[in-house]
Amino acid sequence: MHAEAIESIRFTMISPDTIKRMSIAKLIVPDTYNEDGYPIDGGLVDQRLGVIDPGLKCKTCGGRVKTCPGHFGHLELVRPVIHPEYAKTIYLLLQSTCQQCHRLLLTDTQVGDMKSAIKVFVGKEDEAEGATIDLTSLAAANTTRDKEILIKKLKSVKKCPYCQAAQRKLKLERPTSFYIEGSRMKADEIRDWLARVPDNDLKLIGIDPVATRPEWFVLTTLLVPPVNVRPSITLESGERSEDDLTHKLVDIMRINQRLEQDIDAGAPQIIIDDLWELLQYHVTSYFNNETPGVPVARHRSTRPLKTLAQRLKGKEGRLRYYLSGKRVNFSARTVVSADANISINEVGVPTRLAENLTVPVYVTLWNIEEAKKLLQRTEYPVIINVITKEGLRKRVTEVTREELLKGIEPGQVLERQLIDGDIALFNRQPTLHRMSIMAHKVRVLPGKTLRINASATTPYNADFDGDEMNLHVPQSLEAQAEARYLMQPKDQLLSPRHGGPIMFAEEDEIIGAFFLTKDDAYFNKDDATEMLAGVGVYELPKPEKNGVYSGKAIFSMILPEGFNFEGKTLDGAEVSIKDGKLLKGIVDERLVGNGGGTLLLKIFEDIGSDAAVDFLSRLTKMTLIVSVKKGITISVKDYYMPDNVEKERVAIVKDVEAKAGALIEKYKQKKLDPLPGYTRRETLEIIVMAQLEEARHMAQKLLSKSIDLDNRAYLMAKLKARGTILNLVMTSVFLGQQSIRGKRPSRGYNRRVLPYFRRGDPNPSAKGFIKSSFSDGLSPTEFYMHAMGARDSSMTKSLVTAVSGYLQRRLINAMQDFYADKNGAVKDASGALIQTIYGGDGIDPIRERVMKDKAKS
Amino acid sequence: MVAPHNLIPEHKLLSESEAKNTAKKYGIPLDKFPKILDADPQAKKLNAKPGQLIAITREDPTGKYTYYRYVVMA
Repeated sequence: MHAEAIESIRFTMISPDTIKRMSIAKLIVPDTYNEDGYPIDGGLVDQRLGVIDPGLKCKTCGGRVKTCPGHFGHLELVRPVIHPEYAKTIYLLLQSTCQQCHRLLLTDTQVGDMKSAIKVFVGKEDEAEGATIDLTSLAAANTTRDKEILIKKLKSVKKCPYCQAAQRKLKLERPTSFYIEGSRMKADEIRDWLARVPDNDLKLIGIDPVATRPEWFVLTTLLVPPVNVRPSITLESGERSEDDLTHKLVDIMRINQRLEQDIDAGAPQIIIDDLWELLQYHVTSYFNNETPGVPVARHRSTRPLKTLAQRLKGKEGRLRYYLSGKRVNFSARTVVSADANISINEVGVPTRLAENLTVPVYVTLWNIEEAKKLLQRTEYPVIINVITKEGLRKRVTEVTREELLKGIEPGQVLERQLIDGDIALFNRQPTLHRMSIMAHKVRVLPGKTLRINASATTPYNADFDGDEMNLHVPQSLEAQAEARYLMQPKDQLLSPRHGGPIMFAEEDEIIGAFFLTKDDAYFNKDDATEMLAGVGVYELPKPEKNGVYSGKAIFSMILPEGFNFEGKTLDGAEVSIKDGKLLKGIVDERLVGNGGGTLLLKIFEDIGSDAAVDFLSRLTKMTLIVSVKKGITISVKDYYMPDNVEKERVAIVKDVEAKAGALIEKYKQKKLDPLPGYTRRETLEIIVMAQLEEARHMAQKLLSKSIDLDNRAYLMAKLKARGTILNLVMTSVFLGQQSIRGKRPSRGYNRRVLPYFRRGDPNPSAKGFIKSSFSDGLSPTEFYMHAMGARDSSMTKSLVTAVSGYLQRRLINAMQDFYADKNGAVKDASGALIQTIYGGDGIDPIRERVMKDKAKS
Repeated sequence: MVAPHNLIPEHKLLSESEAKNTAKKYGIPLDKFPKILDADPQAKKLNAKPGQLIAITREDPTGKYTYYRYVVMA
């Protein structure tokens, strides 16, 4: 293929002459087919405009459906019509030229002044000569006082400097009506005016008169696109249905024809003007059916017509849908589900997909024998296509296999079905950060879903409630290598946001780890064997005296050899690992979960990514086995509180009620000092709100005091495996204060939230304090308060995600071409300096600790 | 003229040779540096002229670093 660099692109207005030259036929009949269903000559589907019916030949080029590109036609408008998209330009031209002599309303000296002003701005003399005189570039010029005077003058020219004619007031009424001193200007007058503006004056205001004459902004001929652009559809009933564009063109031609007849018949001016206006309307909506100020043209079914602008505009328009929208081969998409038995570095691919996705095998002198063997195969992994040296893709079938086998030679490429160990990119939208696309190793599995390890869901933000994900198979060796060395989950274990792990143990695994490593955890030989064999360890640790195995010892089996670690659990207890043995402490969320994953991090940094991934994969599997063995369940029982809780609850409620009452009393006696920047009223609300929210904290403390870790719901919350203590408080103690926009509910009826309260009721429950818990059930007023709070938070949530998502998108777009150069300075694609050192400190969060360690040693 | 203020970092006008060296250090021409108007109060205070470079020493919790601005005409 021949390629050349494009030097420049110029967009110009199309001239009536060009239209006539492009046109193959002048269209005169405002209709499509005659009674026999045959295209009318000179109609809108004239056979010279191209063919869309199979079997027919084009009357212009003789081509068939696939070879005829279609040909433009044209129609002549009896009266000129304003091009609606250029109305603003026309208005500008009318304003800046004389109404009498049509010259630019500038004296030669003014032009000279401006050119010299621009010269100062541009800095180069020759550029200034060719520069156009517009107020924006002038405003940028730097001749302060003179400039201001000049601009003022230009904005209020009342008299033509050439013919001294007084300039009257012009008005543009959108979209296409022009008025001069209150009286309507017709399109032909405007056209004549524009036609008389001299070429040299146009150059000054930035219009190249050779490419674009301003009178072309007023249409006299209309280009009619070929039928290929507006194909008609034949319905099942045999009825033909025309494209929206054809419909619109029929409208235009119909009015055009009537206008012509009426003019010939000498109809009164009013009638002609009305038709003219109608013609203008049809042309306007032909270009853009969403032109403001113009009624939308509709189909008989009241559906708005899709005209030219609508075809290009918006998400489903030509630009965004077809030009920027890219579709790829070698990809797949289905529902994802979890598989605890594959590593986070792997992705489970259903056989159906693996059979259809291919990887190229490049035939060389050295692998030709293997290639032959592959090509001979007739069962799963088979070769689907052979790409010859000429680049032809030949399908391998029973029939062609022998021949292709004979013709195999270095330089050919075989397309092999996907097998275990191949590399594939896995992605979930929205692709918000780099971990949203990672390279997994393929594991072909039975079933119909793509599968990932639950720990790998965090970076993708995926869950298994129906999420779908995309799989892409890199084809070139470079792409495969890049994916393998940079994009595997093991390489992405640490988040560039905070430098900690983003893949870790979750939920059941956290609980399992707790039961595995707590001090009194002992397992018999059977259980220990099962747990270890499950993660591929076929040795047992040293048993205790009574023949049982301690959980810590079992856990130590999956730790890397010679590994040392000192850390703290969630509640600050010490954890100590020496020489690959867990000596002290419990492995919990802080060590292997979302709370920092300090243990994971240490393995990653001390030993490497493979060890970290291996540890994580084994840990999750082993802890799941423990979880299953242990049988962790929650039930209603866990939410049934001991008697003292009920007593304490009443006490807490009474306490906050009293405190709130006291505050209100204090306020009423004007003894409440306002907080800085707030009124006394606001101060009261703030303090009362804080006081009532305190109730929840008191309830949490109460819970922690009253129940122990035998309560599984509490255990889960405590371990940060699932749920929070607040959840427990809300189900078992009370809901507490509801809030709307961060304040207590306050509006509704006159000085009260609901009509069931007295005006100015000081009781907290009148303003959304809920004394009941979910297990008690809510009173009707409480229920209403809760619903208000729930509505508020659900609205805020959806609004905040939309706003912050868009904000992030804008930031990404603005910063996407920034890079850190070899000195650590941040530059953009043009080389402009953004930061002298990345982030102001040159720190990459992922490597921060490693850097510090190096600095120490 | 603006009074000194603890929220305004230190601005320093670089000499021609200093500016040249800085540009060389970052491997870019002067006009690829971030810009500051000569009408900016801080530029005025230094009596900076278009074409000169101003060094700004900023401080944040992670440390001190220098930023540059190329003076342009308002």
